[in-house]
Amino acid sequence: MKINGHLMQNKNNNHLQDRKTENGTTFFNDLANIRVLKESEMDIRVPEIPAEIINTLKSRKKHMCVKKDGTNSIPSCNEASVPGMVTQRSCVYGGARVVLMPITDAIHLVHGPLGCASCTWDIRGTRSSGSELYRNGFSTDLQERDIVFGGEKKLLETIIELNQIFEPAAIFVYATCVVGLIGDDLKRVCSEAGKITGSRVIPVQSEGFRSVNKSLGHQLACDALLEHLIGTEPPQNKGNANRKGLEDHQNTDHSLNILGEFNVAGDFWAIKPLLEKIGVSIQAVVTGDSTVEEIAQANLAQLNLVQCQKSSRYLADAMEELYNIPQIRVNFFGVEETSASLRAIAKFFNDPQMMETVEKIIKSGTEGVEESIIPYRQRLSGKKVAVYVGGNKAWSLIRAFEELGMEVLLTGTQNGLPEDYQRIKETVRDGTLVVDDANAMELARLLGKYKPDLLVSGAKEKYLSLKMGIAFCDFNHDRISAFAGFKGFLNFAREVDRAVSSPVWNHSPKIKPPAKPDILTAKSIEKKPRKEVTKIVQGS
Amino acid sequence: MSCANVMKRDRTAVINPLVTCQPMGAMYAVAGIRRGLPLVHGSQGCSTFVRYSFSRHFREPSEIAVTSLHEDAAVFGGRKNLISGIGNLATRFKPSVIGAISTCSSEIIGDDMEGFIKIAREELKQKMGAAEADKIKIVPISTPSFVENHFKGYDNAIKALVNNLAEDPTDPNGKINIIPGIVNPGDIREIKHILSLMGVEGIVLTDISDPFDSPLRPSVTETKPFYPKGGTAVEEIFDSSNSLGTISLCGYAGSGAQSLEKKYNVPAAVGPIPIGVQNTDQFIRNLKKFTDLEVPDSILDERGLLIDSMADLSSRYLFGRKVAIFGDPAISAGIARFVCELGMIPSVVCTGVENPEFVSEMETVAKESDETVDVMIGSDLRALEVRLEEDPVELMIGHSDGRLFGKQLDIPLIRVGYPVYDRVGYHRIPIVGYNGSVNLIDRITNTVFEKYYDKEHWKLQQ
Repeated sequence: MKINGHLMQNKNNNHLQDRKTENGTTFFNDLANIRVLKESEMDIRVPEIPAEIINTLKSRKKHMCVKKDGTNSIPSCNEASVPGMVTQRSCVYGGARVVLMPITDAIHLVHGPLGCASCTWDIRGTRSSGSELYRNGFSTDLQERDIVFGGEKKLLETIIELNQIFEPAAIFVYATCVVGLIGDDLKRVCSEAGKITGSRVIPVQSEGFRSVNKSLGHQLACDALLEHLIGTEPPQNKGNANRKGLEDHQNTDHSLNILGEFNVAGDFWAIKPLLEKIGVSIQAVVTGDSTVEEIAQANLAQLNLVQCQKSSRYLADAMEELYNIPQIRVNFFGVEETSASLRAIAKFFNDPQMMETVEKIIKSGTEGVEESIIPYRQRLSGKKVAVYVGGNKAWSLIRAFEELGMEVLLTGTQNGLPEDYQRIKETVRDGTLVVDDANAMELARLLGKYKPDLLVSGAKEKYLSLKMGIAFCDFNHDRISAFAGFKGFLNFAREVDRAVSSPVWNHSPKIKPPAKPDILTAKSIEKKPRKEVTKIVQGS
Repeated sequence: MSCANVMKRDRTAVINPLVTCQPMGAMYAVAGIRRGLPLVHGSQGCSTFVRYSFSRHFREPSEIAVTSLHEDAAVFGGRKNLISGIGNLATRFKPSVIGAISTCSSEIIGDDMEGFIKIAREELKQKMGAAEADKIKIVPISTPSFVENHFKGYDNAIKALVNNLAEDPTDPNGKINIIPGIVNPGDIREIKHILSLMGVEGIVLTDISDPFDSPLRPSVTETKPFYPKGGTAVEEIFDSSNSLGTISLCGYAGSGAQSLEKKYNVPAAVGPIPIGVQNTDQFIRNLKKFTDLEVPDSILDERGLLIDSMADLSSRYLFGRKVAIFGDPAISAGIARFVCELGMIPSVVCTGVENPEFVSEMETVAKESDETVDVMIGSDLRALEVRLEEDPVELMIGHSDGRLFGKQLDIPLIRVGYPVYDRVGYHRIPIVGYNGSVNLIDRITNTVFEKYYDKEHWKLQQ
């Protein structure tokens, strides 16, 4: 019972009945102890989660909420992970790597001990139609001596060496945790190296521990592009390969950049034909299947499309300020979203012929999909899905699932920002659980409780969900088919169908809560004692 | 009878590395303990990338916790993170062993891991009571990433586990300690099979064979929290000081064995890895020496099967073919020796480490080879690629990272070791022991057929 916003203690420690609060929402309650909360202790008002759903650390309760119309529905986010958990998060270097490493004809040199480069070399499925230089792993391999005396000399030598061997269009130098601790001056070394080699040498200050959220890595990567690449001329002795003349630009009517598209499994190659058909010319993709010089001329485009808003919103805002290039948000996952995006592009250019072509493409695309999607929809309709991905995909996929007739039970991100959760809130239905930075244990419990038919996530969660008897579909680095555009949606339906309808699930029971002894092993599975809740946060 | 031509990498930059940093080896070691959890004291990337790497090789989940150091830790030190990390891990997971693994960040910051762990233990005792808290063993493992590589990290971890957990000797237990090194689950199972044929039990330090290859049975899988099946029990590690001897399969993983020998007089034998006839013979001899048991017929029969395979296949399809081998130093040296036993020529053997054990093993191999063996140490895959462009070979034996330039140079790759992520099942198939060597010879010969015989549609006679 609530009085003046405070919760009253139940002196008898009885279970309270379901009661209606001021706003008419019920709160269920098999909680034994409630005590009076002072105003200062009241956390963000989030609708509470039934205690039986998740039994975890008290500090984590704020990071989960159930979407309810009229309530805040945004979990606590963008905070440090609890130490000692099996986190799904990566570090700031991971964030920078994700944005910049798809650039195909550049060398990506990691300045630090060997592990950072060794574990992240060629693990992302971004594709290239040209150079494969980006697929090699380069490192300065700092040893104890370099830690003590500094790694700058080694870095300079390494850059000069690599430039001689490969003559790349650019060399990106990534800082790691160690560089921040020993105080190497990356900027100075890179500018010196640039003068000596006559090449672009671009520093990225992405020390791993710099922030609790790897989104800083995205921002640092975009900073590196803005400061050192976009709008620059190629260095003297590189010639003008791959650059269009200025006149070419001025003659092109409708040119645009696509930001936040990394061509994972060929996603961009699925979008490219659609855009070319409607008559736009693509100046640069940041950074899928792109070359250094294409990005250097990105400032000459007339419009920025922002696909992955989490990583590239910052870049789009900066380009708007610096070069007056407007931006529109697009999303090419799902039929409805693709159609809306194409229409938005046509509306921007205000070209009636383009608008007509767009409608034709949407019609033929949608019809093509409608025909082929029927068998998938039949099998998938009514199935439940849990989504746990990076910040952007958590909401961009929701519509796509609903178009297949599936229900989204749970959506969450590892490192979402409040803006991402705002978008999620706008996209999901009431009653969906929204989770922030779930660690492996919580994820296992959530899956066990909600029992979805499918989990969509990345490689580290794959085998955990399979072990629990829940089908899995990868929407991350390890994808092998493009999911963007109209044809991509069919691929998506096929992959999801493959995962859910696989006959292997006929041979294994889904995870059951431990109750009776297992007959085969004749061993009882212990029940863990339930933690008593001493403080609840009451939503309104 | 030839010599080994030892070549160091003469380039400053590392391009396409063959090794990774120390913490990964330590995580590998701690994962093999029953209800054991590695706790990485560093940034979140340190655990995430390694978990990803394990996942794609074994196709199994891996639970590695991290203390999530951020900027405030860089300035003020990671004490708060480590102590609360241990507390959270202990109360939520109730593990039997927490391996606290340091990283470059925590080593440079200068965190006193042992001191913090003491404080954490006190806090745990207060929270959970002395009896419960004592059940959770916390082992500090110092693995700075800027020193050597992940093989050293594994070695450091086993040494730390043995030093911290092995108890004073009581009664001899009649068992043999085995330190497998970074090998696949299939290999560890084969070693256990050999031990059982000899009639002796083994204490495997540590045993990743079940944790990284476990069945899908949702009704019995421990998911609250998730612990995979199997692994070395902590009690066995306590007992390891009572064993008859310690055999370390890989040359780089000898510190734990030497530590047991020094402290508890448990005799040690280090390397070479039992791949091929002579190396496996040496392994069996070591077993015999420590246990004083006779070698049974069943093992001699397995040896006979290997010799039989070699007689059937090596002279006709394999003799004289040039091979390049890369990857793990112990496995590469073992395969190089086996390849000589088959009559093939290990033209170039390339690893990313600069171990003296590896060089001496390769000198033994070179003596048994007809031609000079190029031994590339401290090297990387780019150097191997350049070397093979100049002087190609007919086969490559190594892990999946060599597939790209193998395709470019049109040299077929026979996958062994870690990581193999573009083929399946290789972590289950042993390559050690007599049986494992038979598997290896089959794999090699089938590749030769596909590449060199299928094209001509030769009628393959006996």
